[in-house]
Amino acid sequence: MSTFGAAAANHNPNKSFEVLQPPSDSVSSLSFSPKANILVATSWDNQQVRCWEISRNGTAVASTPKASITHDQPVLCSTWKDDGTTVFSGGCDKQVKMWPLLSGGQPMTVAMHDAPIKEVAWIPEMNLLVTGSWDKTLKYWDTRQPNPVHTQQLPDRCYALTVKYPLMVVGTADRNLIVFNLQNPQTEYKRVVSPLKYQTRCVAAFPDQQGFLVGSIEGRVGVHHLDDGQQNKNFTFKCHRDGSEIYSVNSLNFHPIHHTFATAGSDGAFNFWDKDSKQRLKAMSRCSQPIPCSTFNNDGSIFAYSVFVMTGVRVLKITTHQQQRPTFSCTCLRNLKLKASHELEQVVESEGCFWLEND
Amino acid sequence: MHYKKEPCRNFQRGSCQYGERCKFLHVIQQQPKSNAFGFGTQASSHQQQKPNPFGFGVQNNVQSKGANDFGNKQNQFKNTWTRSSASSAPSLRQPDNQPQATNHQCTDPELCKRTIIEDFEHERPLWKLTCYSHWKNSPCDIVGDVSFEELRATAYDDAKHGLSLQSIVDRERNLLNSKLVEFENLLRNPYTGPVGSTLAQQIPFPTATATAFSPQNSGRSQNGFPPSVSSFSQLGASLNSGSAVRPSIESNNAFGQPISFSSSAQASSVFATNNIPLANAFSFGNQQPNQSVAASFSTSMSSFSNSSVTSTALNQFSAPVVSTQNLSLSSVQPPALFNVSNLISKADGQSATDIQLGSNLQRKIVSGDSSIWLKEKWIPGEIPEEAPPDAYV
Repeated sequence: MSTFGAAAANHNPNKSFEVLQPPSDSVSSLSFSPKANILVATSWDNQQVRCWEISRNGTAVASTPKASITHDQPVLCSTWKDDGTTVFSGGCDKQVKMWPLLSGGQPMTVAMHDAPIKEVAWIPEMNLLVTGSWDKTLKYWDTRQPNPVHTQQLPDRCYALTVKYPLMVVGTADRNLIVFNLQNPQTEYKRVVSPLKYQTRCVAAFPDQQGFLVGSIEGRVGVHHLDDGQQNKNFTFKCHRDGSEIYSVNSLNFHPIHHTFATAGSDGAFNFWDKDSKQRLKAMSRCSQPIPCSTFNNDGSIFAYSVFVMTGVRVLKITTHQQQRPTFSCTCLRNLKLKASHELEQVVESEGCFWLEND
Repeated sequence: MHYKKEPCRNFQRGSCQYGERCKFLHVIQQQPKSNAFGFGTQASSHQQQKPNPFGFGVQNNVQSKGANDFGNKQNQFKNTWTRSSASSAPSLRQPDNQPQATNHQCTDPELCKRTIIEDFEHERPLWKLTCYSHWKNSPCDIVGDVSFEELRATAYDDAKHGLSLQSIVDRERNLLNSKLVEFENLLRNPYTGPVGSTLAQQIPFPTATATAFSPQNSGRSQNGFPPSVSSFSQLGASLNSGSAVRPSIESNNAFGQPISFSSSAQASSVFATNNIPLANAFSFGNQQPNQSVAASFSTSMSSFSNSSVTSTALNQFSAPVVSTQNLSLSSVQPPALFNVSNLISKADGQSATDIQLGSNLQRKIVSGDSSIWLKEKWIPGEIPEEAPPDAYV
C-alpha cells in the first residue's frame, strides 16, 4: 500500500476516502445507485464506465471495484435506472448504452444522437430515458425500441439536465434554460434566460419542484423559482472564487433528505449550502485540482466527488465523503475515519489508498 | 460627479432619466439597503455587493407583477405540480409571462456600458469561451458558447482525423483569441452594442490576424483575406466593408447570413435572431469533417470587430491577451502542459473539464506560439524568449 506523500495532502485535504482503482483520466460523471451504495463513474480514459461497491462499516468506508464496460469514445454522462439494476451511459460516441450490471449482462445500445450525448436521465414515472445532446435535441427513449418516442428541439446544445418528476430543466448553450412539465413533455413549459451572465454549467431541480438552481462558469449560482409569485425569492450568489479568480461551478447536487445542496467547482472546493436560509453551511478545503463532478448517494450519507490529479502515474481519485447533516445551520460535517484498505487488484493505474484520521 | 453627495436612488433602480446631468451620484455600487433580501428594489443589481460575503441578494425582477400576483395557474406551482385538472395545459400561455424577462431594454446606455465595464473588470471567469450578457435574464450580447467538454471532444476528434497537435493547438488558440476579441469589442461598443457588436462579430477574421496567428494551418485559417482596415464604429460602415471584403468564408454558411441583420441594428429584438446564426457556427459536433470544423471555428469565432482591425489593433489586443495569460499563469495551479499528443493516446492531458484548460490555452499561446514570429511588430511583453525556430529564420 503506497501513499503519495506530499501530493496527498494537496489533493485530498479533506481526508476523504479514496476509491480504489479509479479511472486514469478525468471523471465526467458520477452516479450512485438509487437502491444501494454502488457508485458508477464515467471518464475520459479508455472510455470506461466503472463501478464500485461502497460499503460502510461503522465510520469506515471501503470500496470494491466491481465491473466496468467500455465505449468507443469518451463517456460524458451516466445514470441509474430506478430499480438499481441497470446503468445508462452516453458520450462522444453519440450513443447511450444500457448496462444491466447487477445481473451481469452485456451492455446494449439504446439511444443515438447526431452529436455527443451530454446528459442522460431516467424517468421512472414515464419509464423512459431522456437524453440531451449537442445536436440540440432532447430525445425520449423507450429502451425496447430503436426509435425515440419523442424528439424535442432545443434552442441550442444541451449542457445540463435535471429531472425531478414532473419538473425537468434543461440548460443549453447561450444561457437558455428550458423548463418542461413532464406530464406534457412535448411542450416547453417555460423558457427562461439564465439569471447568470455567462455560460450555464449545471442545473439542479429543487426536491419540491418549486424551482431550480443553475450554476455557471462565473462562480455563481442562481436560485430560480418557477412560480411567478415566488420570483421575489430568486437570487444569485457567488461561490468558488479566489480573489480575482473566478472558477466554474461544475456540479450542483441536492441532499436527498435535508434538501440542502452541495456545489463543486473548478477551484477544487466543494461547499454545502442552504438556500432557504441563504447560508453556506460548510466549506470544505480546497483540493489542488478542479472537481468536475459530484453526487450524493441515495440516503445522503455519502457524498462522492472526483478530483483529477496529475501525478506521474496520472491517477485519478474519486473520493467519498461521508457527512452528517445537522439540523441547524453551520458546522457539523464529520469526516470519515478510514481504515486500512484491502489488496489492490492489478490494473494499469492503480494507486494506494491512504487512510487518515478524523479532524 | 465630484460635487455630488448622495447616491441617486433612481439610478440604483436603473431608471434615472438625467444620466450624466443628474445631480446625485451615479454609483454602481449597491448601497446596503435595510432589507438586503427584500423585495422590489434591486433592479440595478450589477454585482451583488452586499454585506453578505457570498453576495446573497434578491434579484427581484418582478416589479411589475409583484409578489402578490397569485393569479390563476401559477398556483399550481404551490402544489408540487400535481396537476389535478387540465389546468396546466394553459402553461402554454405562460412562457411569455415571465416577470423576470423584465425586459431590460437598455434604455440607459450609460448604465449598461458601466455594467459591462464592471463585469469585465471584476467578473471575468477563467473560462473564456463563453457567451455573455450584461444583464441577467437578457439574451446574450456575445454568443457562441463552448463548454469544456466540447472543446476537449473536438480536440479528440481532430486528433482522430489525423490533425497534428500543432494544428489543434492553433485552432484552439484562434478560438480563444477571437473570443477575447469579441469581448473587447463589446467593451468598446457596448451600445451599438449588444446588438451591434454581435452583428459585427460575424464578420470573419481579417488576414492580419490570421497570418499572425496561424500561418501554418493548412488552409484552415483565412490566409487569403485582405485585412479590413478602416476603423469604423458605425455598423453600417462595417456592414459595407463586411460584405465587400469577405470573400470566401466557406463557413459563412454556418452562420446563416451574417449580413442580414443590416439596419435593424438598434432594435434589441435583433438579439434573438442574431444569436442563432452564430450559435450554429458553433455546432462543431462530430459530424462535420475536419476542415469545416476548423474553418467554422476560426471564421465564426473570429468575430471581427467593427472597430479598428488594423495591425495596431491587432497588437493592442494581443498585448492584453498576453498579459492576461501571464496573470492567469501565475495564479493558476501548476498546470500540466496541454499535451495533445497524449490525447491521441487517450491519456492524460489537462482535461477539458478543467477550468485550467482555459489557462492552458492561454499558456499555449505563450509557450507554443510560433506565429509570434510572423508578426511585424512586437509589443513589449510578447517578445518571445527563445530563438525562433528554423522555419522562421
